[in-house]
Amino acid sequence: MVRRLRPLAEIPVPDPQPEKLYRGSFVGRDFQFHGLKQLLGAADVAKAGDRHAGLTACSETAREAARSLLSELPLQHFYDHPLTDNQGVVDSVMRVNYEIDLEFFARIANQTLGQLKNDLMQGTGAEILQVGRGLTGVMAAALAKICDVHELILLARRCVHPTQARTRLGMPGTLSSRLQPNHPTDDPRGITLLCYWGLSMGSGDALLGLNPAVDTVDNVSTMLRLLDTIRRRTGAPTQICVLSHIKTQLACLQRGEPVEILFQSLAGTADTNLTEFDITVDLLDDAYEQMLRHGPLREQARQFMYFETGQGSEFTYGRHNGIDMTTAEALCYGLARRYDPFMVNNVTGFIGPETHCDSLEMILANLQDHFMGKLLGLPMGMAPCYTLHSNIILEGQQIATELLAAAGAVYYMDVPLNTDRMLAYFDTSGHDNQTLREVHDRQPAAEFLDWCVARGIFIRNDFGQILRGPRWGDPQQFCDSLEEFDQIVSSTPALYGFESAGPRPANQVSRQARLHQAIGREAIHAELDFDRLQTVAAFRIVETQATSKPMHLMSPDLGASLEPITAARILPEYTDVQILVSDGLSAEAVHYNLGNLLPVVMDGVQAYGWATGAPMLTRYGRVKLAEPLAERLQARLIIYLIGERPGGDAVAARSLSAYLAYRLDPTPQEAAAAFSHNPAIRFEYTVISNIGSQGLPAVEAGSLIVERVAQILKYQAAGNRLESILEQTSHGLSRTPA
Amino acid sequence: MATLLGLDFGSTTCSAVIAAAHVVRNTVTGRMELSDIRETFRAELVFTPLIGERLDEAAIAAQLDRWLIEGNVRPEDIVGGGALLTGLTARRANADAIVRIIRARIGDALVASADDPCLESWLAFMGSCVSLSRRHPECHFLHLDIGGGTTNLALGYCGEVLATGCLLVGARHIRVEPGTYHIVGLSALAIELLAGLGIRKTVGEELDPHEVQAVLDYQVALLEAAVSGDTSVFASPLARQHLQVAIPAFPVGFHDRPLVLTLSGGVGELVYAQVHGASQLSTTAFGDLGIDLARAIARHPRWQKNFRDYRPEAGGRATVYGLLRHSTQLSGSTLHLTATHLLPLRDLPIVGTIGPETTDAALHTLLDLVCRSRCGGAIRVELLPNDASCVRSVGARIGQAVRDRKFPADLPLVILLRQNAGKTLGQYMTQWGRHALSLLVVDEIDWREANFVHLGIMRDQTIPVSFFGLPS
Repeated sequence: MVRRLRPLAEIPVPDPQPEKLYRGSFVGRDFQFHGLKQLLGAADVAKAGDRHAGLTACSETAREAARSLLSELPLQHFYDHPLTDNQGVVDSVMRVNYEIDLEFFARIANQTLGQLKNDLMQGTGAEILQVGRGLTGVMAAALAKICDVHELILLARRCVHPTQARTRLGMPGTLSSRLQPNHPTDDPRGITLLCYWGLSMGSGDALLGLNPAVDTVDNVSTMLRLLDTIRRRTGAPTQICVLSHIKTQLACLQRGEPVEILFQSLAGTADTNLTEFDITVDLLDDAYEQMLRHGPLREQARQFMYFETGQGSEFTYGRHNGIDMTTAEALCYGLARRYDPFMVNNVTGFIGPETHCDSLEMILANLQDHFMGKLLGLPMGMAPCYTLHSNIILEGQQIATELLAAAGAVYYMDVPLNTDRMLAYFDTSGHDNQTLREVHDRQPAAEFLDWCVARGIFIRNDFGQILRGPRWGDPQQFCDSLEEFDQIVSSTPALYGFESAGPRPANQVSRQARLHQAIGREAIHAELDFDRLQTVAAFRIVETQATSKPMHLMSPDLGASLEPITAARILPEYTDVQILVSDGLSAEAVHYNLGNLLPVVMDGVQAYGWATGAPMLTRYGRVKLAEPLAERLQARLIIYLIGERPGGDAVAARSLSAYLAYRLDPTPQEAAAAFSHNPAIRFEYTVISNIGSQGLPAVEAGSLIVERVAQILKYQAAGNRLESILEQTSHGLSRTPA
Repeated sequence: MATLLGLDFGSTTCSAVIAAAHVVRNTVTGRMELSDIRETFRAELVFTPLIGERLDEAAIAAQLDRWLIEGNVRPEDIVGGGALLTGLTARRANADAIVRIIRARIGDALVASADDPCLESWLAFMGSCVSLSRRHPECHFLHLDIGGGTTNLALGYCGEVLATGCLLVGARHIRVEPGTYHIVGLSALAIELLAGLGIRKTVGEELDPHEVQAVLDYQVALLEAAVSGDTSVFASPLARQHLQVAIPAFPVGFHDRPLVLTLSGGVGELVYAQVHGASQLSTTAFGDLGIDLARAIARHPRWQKNFRDYRPEAGGRATVYGLLRHSTQLSGSTLHLTATHLLPLRDLPIVGTIGPETTDAALHTLLDLVCRSRCGGAIRVELLPNDASCVRSVGARIGQAVRDRKFPADLPLVILLRQNAGKTLGQYMTQWGRHALSLLVVDEIDWREANFVHLGIMRDQTIPVSFFGLPS
């Protein structure tokens, strides 16, 4: 049943070809596109990430011209032109994408893309999946770009590719869900509550899957055992996963922990995977083999891998190699396909407005992703989602879920009340899942459904219909006592009540949740009140290259650079410490905390006798702004107080971070380069996050910041290197200020 | 994972409960907490090894070792809990021996509390009734932990104990041959009680049913007086002898809410078994009047509905559960500690409270009190919430007073704070480290009006803190 992996070197890939010029004349106008990457980019719907990367068409007509040119290309052309990285090399992700059914491909190789689409529209699901096995990710992406919304939905809907662990996913008539009981501190009580709540709504048949707040082997082991306990205690037929880095999970597997499903995030370029995700195809191959041999479900599961993807990660990290977001996403699927995963989850919308700026971009991208994944034979779970600093709104996300359900999405997330309490973003909820099941006449996986019926979560009526039962939405049913329920409720933020109205949250619950969301969004769009802040300290004002809030939110690079005239005015001051304050993604966080924070920090700086200039204040700053400022000032360290991205509830909108950016002089630079394996490293950072009423109070954060600054200056190190030094010395700072 | 250990040594029986917990910051309250406390081991009740009135030290040491092995506990993993010594085990020589035996095995993680009936009352409430009372904010709760020798009373509201008291009403003042009323032992109080009731029986004789009923009626009447707040009953000399600590005075506004009576302890557990029809025990099966007392309480017309409608947790082990779950708090994780080497600090007197309005004279008086204590002392500090200027000014004022007073640099001074501001307060007290002081500012502590505090060894950036010597 389980596939053995084909060695990477044995996958045949044509040699890279010189860039081709694609040109054509349409309704009297000439268009040309230099290279396949540009043609693919221009043929796509315009999305923020591709716009920033200069890949979108300059006009709607140009886009249609690109689509027409793309349609006329035979599949063999795509095969013969593998996309390369910036060094002109076919990377490992692209190579894996060529692991296709060559025999079948030979039968369709001469078809143009347009002909293929026409054939597919007339084909059965089995025929579409057979074609998919003969396609690379690039071909799938090209198809997606010439499909409209109806076509993306209809083609995907016909593809049925069930997978099986303890439960079967993707069977006709089912809509499953992954419980995502994330908690900001991995508090077992909160995680338990959110699991119970989701299970009580018939969610979790795909997975009980936690994103841990702390990615250590010890913590992930603890979380795995917690989920295992919950699964056993409730008797829910499902599987568990803690979505830490794959290396951490493998270490847990070696300890004998219940790593039932192995998770990893994927990107569509090897460069992103290596540099940002710390994975290679070799590592994934090894992980797959280990699960094959040692995975606890190896006897009963046909699949056991779980991948998460989403458009834009390659662009965000600047490692997209000139490939548009849709195509890079399809390459992820080509990589995921190698491991015949139990589930794939798409989280397009998670990154922010720099990749998808509004609801329409997010909806279209999700439909493309879902279609491409299904075409390539993957069990596609969808998580159309958003952060508060984008212009995507809940209604847009809900439209996406309805369309994707129509398209046959295998499963959705259950993030209680749409609010992820740890990752500060908004996704589908258990209420949404049940609503979609009722709208689209779907049910959970059969084994799980039986369990739900036995518990009274669902009932099966005389006509065999599945209806919500008397215990639907009641998380208390899994507790031994009301006291136990109180205990698990007591530590979970962003709870606004458990009442429901039909499959939806009761109106008062929705109103609370939406109000908190609105406050969070308002905090992002609020402007810094300079007059108010000048009463806290006599600030010097500096400016970034972002001149408006929309620019700031859409283009992170602008907020990381000093405006040229400002930069020219800043002269070297050779200070020890410079304080910088910026709104970042929440002006409200600055307004709320600075009055209690800054006086303490300034008292500490003075008491320690560090040379410093008057504090600086800027609008529209990003974290990396600390670096050009430190360079201009020749300051040893910047204490950068900046508003965090709001999420969760209204209180979270008041959360501030302190980034202590240490500029490396030659001596510490050598040590830092050796420590980080990055010879070009210029700065190290120590971060104190979650300053505010829900985390570390501003007044207490002030002296903690001063203490950390003292450590950095004393040991000439920050971040992990400082922690390592402190661990070696086994004590903190014991110094008396000058 | 952290391990908690609760030990309960009484005159008759002793027991142990072990639990595992996670140390986390509660994201709702912002406080460090022991979360998801799950019992991993519960020892059977065993008779406390005594030779006459002296503790059999070898036997108790062997018993403790057995519990640790059976509970699969590594002493270094224990972060808190407690050992409660009552009755004979609380006598000085016995208590010293038990503490010595515990420390030899576990170190300083546990606080041993001897003969502190108000602490017992508080623990029983916290171990048994706290969740129930939080769930019913419309009611006051009076919790009675009825054991062999005492009834510990705690009046609470919304999870908080408002007042405590203790009556010498219990099952084992009169000990009988199991299955009969043939007296095999009488406590000093029981002798007085029988005399007071006109019952002329002693060890070796048998109580008749009327005499048993008279004893039970009297004990229930005392409990009823305590429950109704009727202090006049305790005016008689006999009743006064049953009063170990005054019964809780009902606070102002008390009668605006209904009073719920809950029980724990061995007798309490039997009452609920009676009410819920689960008791199959024959009279005096345990060799005392506990089953009869439970029946008498269960039949009380005004309390029956109470017992059916409200059932607390933990039953006979309320105190040890209280020890396990509530006797140890965790400090915040950002503290001002210039003297961690002094930890653990045991039996530190809490001399008073300082706030923004405290006069310099009062401040000096409190520091003088700490100076007079050879082991140092603790002061509670009240701050305005989320107010940097308050922290700066209070910290600077205490620091100035410390310097004016020439406070000894090597004498432990512990500051207890409710807010999360310990590190900053300490910086202003010491002028950012310029002034040398053996200072520990421990924050995020829900300090109670206790007389003593115990600070454990720092683990995971937090300090376990326990209070004892609670006022009634």
